[in-house]
Amino acid sequence: MGDGALGRIAALVRQDGRLLVRDPSPLIVRTVMPLLLMSFMQPLFRAALRADDVRGATGAEQGVPGMAVMFLFFLVNIVGFAMFREHGWHTWDRLRAGPARPFELVAGRLVVPLVVAVVQLAVVFAAGGLLFGLRVTGSYAALVLVGVPLALCVVMVGMALVALCRTIAQLSVFANLLALLFAGLGGALTPRSALPDWARPLAPGVPSYWAMRGFSAVILDGGGVGAVLLPAGVLCAFAAGLTAVTLFFFRAEHRKLSWS
Amino acid sequence: MPTDPAPCGVPALALRGVTKRYGRTTALEDVSLGIADGEIVGLLGHNGAGKTTLMSLVAGLLRPDAGEIEVRGVSPVRDPRRARRELGLAPQELGVYPPLTVRQNLAFFAELAGLRGRDVRLRTGEVAEPLGLTALLDRRVARLSGGEQRRVHTAMALLHRPRLLLLDEPTAGVDVETRARLLAFVRELAAAGTAVCYSTHYLAEVEALDASVAILDHGRVIARGTLRELVRSHGDSAVELDFSGAPPALRLPWPVAHEAGVLRVRVERPHSAVPHVLAALGESARRLVNLRVVQPGLETVFLRLTGRRYTDGPDTAGPARDGRAPEADVGAGGSGDGPVPTGERSIEAGRHG
Repeated sequence: MGDGALGRIAALVRQDGRLLVRDPSPLIVRTVMPLLLMSFMQPLFRAALRADDVRGATGAEQGVPGMAVMFLFFLVNIVGFAMFREHGWHTWDRLRAGPARPFELVAGRLVVPLVVAVVQLAVVFAAGGLLFGLRVTGSYAALVLVGVPLALCVVMVGMALVALCRTIAQLSVFANLLALLFAGLGGALTPRSALPDWARPLAPGVPSYWAMRGFSAVILDGGGVGAVLLPAGVLCAFAAGLTAVTLFFFRAEHRKLSWS
Repeated sequence: MPTDPAPCGVPALALRGVTKRYGRTTALEDVSLGIADGEIVGLLGHNGAGKTTLMSLVAGLLRPDAGEIEVRGVSPVRDPRRARRELGLAPQELGVYPPLTVRQNLAFFAELAGLRGRDVRLRTGEVAEPLGLTALLDRRVARLSGGEQRRVHTAMALLHRPRLLLLDEPTAGVDVETRARLLAFVRELAAAGTAVCYSTHYLAEVEALDASVAILDHGRVIARGTLRELVRSHGDSAVELDFSGAPPALRLPWPVAHEAGVLRVRVERPHSAVPHVLAALGESARRLVNLRVVQPGLETVFLRLTGRRYTDGPDTAGPARDGRAPEADVGAGGSGDGPVPTGERSIEAGRHG
C-alpha cells in the first residue's frame, strides 16, 4: 500500500475525528444510555444470576457486559451515518474524483468508529465497576481480547449495511433491528441460561453471543486469555465475513439517499 | 498558480467519439472535444443537454459506453488515479463539510493531495486569498452565505493545483461579488496555463471570460469555436416585435417569421431597418407592445442552432454585468423581470410611439 495511500487514509481518519469532535453528543448519549438502563435493570439481573447459583452476584456481572454489548451495536447507526452524510453533503463524488481509491475511502472511515467503540466499551466497564460494583475476577487482557474484535464486528456490520442499503432510513431500521436481535439472541438482555428454548440453537449465529460468552468467562469464571481464545476467534471470523460482504456489495458509484 | 505544460502536442483534455447512455436515454452521443492548456471553454446547453455527464465522465465518476477520453494524455477509465491528479472538479451541487471551518475543509483536500504540515497551511492560504476567503478561514462553512460557500466549494478543487479545472455551473445562485471574483480567478488560472471547462447558464460570463464555446444540445456538440467564429457563422441580427394579439402579416424586403408569438424580421443591419419595419406596420402599430433590436451575439447563435433561447438560467438574478460584455440591455420600461438577452436592445412601444 504505497504511493501515499496511508497518508490519504490518515487524512480521512483526521477528517472523521474533526467531525466527531464538532458534535460528540450522539456518542456521549450512547455511552450514558447503557449505564442509565443498568441502574433500572440491576435488581433483575441480580435475581437471575442468583437463580443460576452465582453466589454473591450483584447483577453487574450480567448487566454491565450485557448493556455494553447491546448499546455497542447501536453504534452501527453512527458508522452508517458517517458514510451516508457524505452523500447528503455531496462530498462523496468529490472524494471519488480525488486521488484516494475507493478502498482507501472505506478504510479511512473504519478507524474512528473502531476507536469510539473500544472507548465506549472501556467507559461502560469502568463505570460499571465504579457505579454498580462490577468485579472482574479474570484477566483484563482477556477482556480486551474479546472487546476489540467485538468492536470490529460492530464497525463491519455498519459497513456491510452501508453496502447493502440504498437509503439512510433503511440503514437506520436494519441497524436497530439487528441491535435488538443480537442483544436478545446473544444473551445480553438475559443470562444465556434463561434464553427461551427456540432461541438457544440460534444464539451461536450472532456475534453478541460469543462476546457475552467471552466476557462471562472472564468476569464470572475468572478466565484468562486462554479462556477467551475461542470467542475472540469466532468474533474475528464474524468480522472477516462482514468484511467480505462489504467488499462484495460495496460500489463507490452507487448513489445513497441521505435524510435530505 | 503555475502549471507544467502538457507533453508536446497533448491537449489538456481530449474527448473522441464519447457516448454515454443511462438505460435507454442517450446523455451524450459521439462527442468530440479538445481543450488546450490555458484555454477556457464555455460549455453551453440547456438542462439535460449533457454538460454534467460530460464533466463526470472526464472526472472518472462515470464510464463512457463508447469513445476515448484523455486528460493530458491519460485515460480516466484506464488510469483514473493518474488522470485525477491532473484535474480538479467543482461539481454543480455544493459539496462541502458544513460543520467544519473553511480552513478544515481546505486542509482536508490538501492532505488528500499529499501535502502535510506547513505545506497545507501555505497551499490553503494560496487558494483562499484570490477567492476572498482569507478572512473567513476560521468560520464554520454552515454559517457562511451561499456565495461564500460556493467559493469554498470551488477552492476545494484547486488545492492540488490541477492542470485541468472542471467547473460545473460555478456561479449558480451566487451574489454579484462572488460571481466577479470567480470570473477573475478563472481568468488568472487560465493565464497561468490551466485549462478550464466552464459550464454555465449565463452567456455573458462566457463573453466576459473570453472563452471559446462548445454548445451541447441533446447530448451532441452542435457548435465549437471561438466566440467570434460562432457569431460570424451563426449569429443572426433581427428586429423582434411583440403585439397584443396575433402579430400582423408584414410586407418587407427581409425574411419575416413568427416565433412563439413574436414577429422576427431577420435583417443584417437591424437599426437601419427599424423605420421601415415601423412604417410597414400601418394600423397594427397600435397593437405593438415591444420592439427589440437583436444584434448578433452568443444568444442569437444559440437560438439559431437550437431553436430555443438560452436565457432561462437557474435563477433570475442574472449575471454580473462585466465591462467586457458586448451589449447591455436598455429596458426602457424598466420592468425588472431579469436579464434581457445579451445583444438585444429593447424599447417599449407604448412609451416611444
